Amino acid sequence: MGDRRRRRRLAAAATVAGLMFGTVACGSGSDSAGSGDPNTLEVWTRSNPDSAATYDRVFAAFTKKTGIKIDYQPVINFDQQLQSRASTKDLPDVMINDTALMGSYQSQGLLKPVDPASIAGNDQITAKSWSSTVGIDGKHYGIPYSRQAQTLMIRKDWLKKLGLKAPTTWQQMLSVARAFATEDPDGDGKADTYGMVVPGSSQSGYAAWWGASFLWQGGAKIIESDGKGKYSPAMDSTAAVNTVTWMKDNLFCGKKGVVQPGALTAVTSTATNFQDGNAGMYMTGPYNITTFDGTLGKDKYEVIPAPAGPAGSDVLADGENVYFGAKTGKTKQEQALGAFLVSAEGQRIAMTSVDGHQPVVRIPVNSTLDAAKVRGDARWSVVQKAYEDSSEQFPNAPDFAPIKQDTADSLNSIFTYCGGDVRSQLKELNDTLAGDLKDQDLLK
Amino acid sequence: MTATVTTPAARRVFSVFSRKAVVPWLFLAPGLLLALVFKFWPMAKGIWLSFFHVRPFLGDQWVGFENYSRVLTDHRFQDAIGHTLILGIGQSAGAILLGFVLALLLEGQARSLKIIRTAVFLPAVTATAVVGELWRLMYYPTSDGLLNSGLHLFGLGPVQFLDNPNIALYSTMAMSIWIWAPYNMVIMLAGLAGVDRTLYEAAAMDGVSLWQRLRYVTLPAIRPALMIVLTLATIRGLRVFTEVYVLTGGGPAGSTDVWMTRAYTLGFTRNDIGGASAASVVLLCVTLLLTVTVNYLRKRGEAR
Repeated sequence: MGDRRRRRRLAAAATVAGLMFGTVACGSGSDSAGSGDPNTLEVWTRSNPDSAATYDRVFAAFTKKTGIKIDYQPVINFDQQLQSRASTKDLPDVMINDTALMGSYQSQGLLKPVDPASIAGNDQITAKSWSSTVGIDGKHYGIPYSRQAQTLMIRKDWLKKLGLKAPTTWQQMLSVARAFATEDPDGDGKADTYGMVVPGSSQSGYAAWWGASFLWQGGAKIIESDGKGKYSPAMDSTAAVNTVTWMKDNLFCGKKGVVQPGALTAVTSTATNFQDGNAGMYMTGPYNITTFDGTLGKDKYEVIPAPAGPAGSDVLADGENVYFGAKTGKTKQEQALGAFLVSAEGQRIAMTSVDGHQPVVRIPVNSTLDAAKVRGDARWSVVQKAYEDSSEQFPNAPDFAPIKQDTADSLNSIFTYCGGDVRSQLKELNDTLAGDLKDQDLLK
Repeated sequence: MTATVTTPAARRVFSVFSRKAVVPWLFLAPGLLLALVFKFWPMAKGIWLSFFHVRPFLGDQWVGFENYSRVLTDHRFQDAIGHTLILGIGQSAGAILLGFVLALLLEGQARSLKIIRTAVFLPAVTATAVVGELWRLMYYPTSDGLLNSGLHLFGLGPVQFLDNPNIALYSTMAMSIWIWAPYNMVIMLAGLAGVDRTLYEAAAMDGVSLWQRLRYVTLPAIRPALMIVLTLATIRGLRVFTEVYVLTGGGPAGSTDVWMTRAYTLGFTRNDIGGASAASVVLLCVTLLLTVTVNYLRKRGEAR
């Protein structure tokens, strides 16, 4: 009896061992191809098929001009895919992705430093743009590619109907929001309109992304650099306390309808009230212009600079950079592609829409170009002006992901509990941020 | 001729791989291979990674139990334990109770019952993401929302089902019950079908009340089905993720953050794969412990 059981077990073990061997053999057999040819660059962008069509045109023009071939891969779940490529130690040669990811990538060793002088035409990129690709060690880790800044989208037909002017200060914005909520701007006799759209969920850090412009306008910072590569958390400053208190008291815990219902659990994909036509204002990025023109109509809304807070009207800026993968050994070709992407020609192709496909460069980093002129759309000059004159990015050198997430968690919590004490909650956030910075050895 | 003579040792080796022993495993091999590649290998890798500071390109750094201590001392994970337990127990109990009631109501052979059973079962086969979107609309926090317009008729509301941190967890629970009750119903229907009809007749002869019939005839008879439902619900309750993720994303103010949504945030928005692995391993251990306990209690109950 026991003997038979033992025999069965042995057979089972043998089968499993055989399977293991088979799997391992399969695993080692698969090898990534295509990285051999020195005259072919593997390029990744975080794009859906729509914007990938625009990149296709850009890369075709590059190949025609230089003879360097491009193996182009539009990737939607970019970071997961990149992590799995990283574990094989074979990265894409060139990547185009969000500015905010630079610190994270650099800390993981995924990027090759870029000397601006090695990129032809680097003088056509402003110093402000170049400064946004400086890493923690003072070297550049990316080439600026596309930029954008938040602006306020507002229903001009509603303003006209209620006899109001476009707001230029927080206080005016608040009274417009209240009027939109209570004075029936859509004229259907029902109280079903709201002041402004807020993607206020902490999911993926949205509350911090949306709230950043308000923080800048109130004179607050999330973390502050000491100029020597160290940082300190700054969310317990008087400016931060005042700004967050103002937002909480007026937007979330004040009169009903100032923000859309469900704002505290809304992310950008669920906060559709502006395009649905039941909210009057939305502070957001210019990529939405194409969407709103289609759903709401170009004649219904306008794009205006963000209303100013006590410390000015700075808004959050972000965009995409061109990154070079570490240890790829094709530096010359990569530099040629980088130079083409930021050249007037490369940027112009990426800014124009053919067959209705989404352009991939919003505000050009090439200072010889004018977004409004290239696009033939005056609204883009508002965005370009906001970026150039009054915008600020998230600090790009540290790995900002945990800092953004913790800030979003805290802001969402403060806006949720109206009875809470803002000062002590922000003090708590500050301690958490100090911990995040310490994890990265960046705490001053 | 000598070549065909087998020594006793060789015969033993051969008999180890006798057809009788090997054939079943050969039949199992395709399934095992799939399980190995897609289940056990990733699981082992996850446990392995939980001891490292994960840096795919620079090479992982061994940190021992640091990930575990960090996860277990994080107050947000500690809050998440409470939410997971409330949600898990609430949705399990609710779904089992509702499933049982549905099973009692819908047991039978009539054609109309079959149609209703199919209709009732629909939530269990609908994608959770779709269900989440549906319930977001139903929970819409103005009097335009389906539930709030109902409350409006009675002069109540509007209730902030998802934006009020005191209610959000229970709103999620209601949706989960709605999803899982029909699933439990099907298992219990199978149990009910196996109940000996003569027991009901005998009970009727004895003149028992409805409650007594349920308590002393139906429930003991479907105990095996109940145990399966309970085990499945326990596991599901602890690793609840999709329901929360699609409905509230853990918000507002972390009031619906459960263990798995925390682990997800840690892994994918904070790039801390090691910490997320550690959190998942902790959950695996707890689930394993609970499943074994439920099984043990069941066996003891059966033995008695």
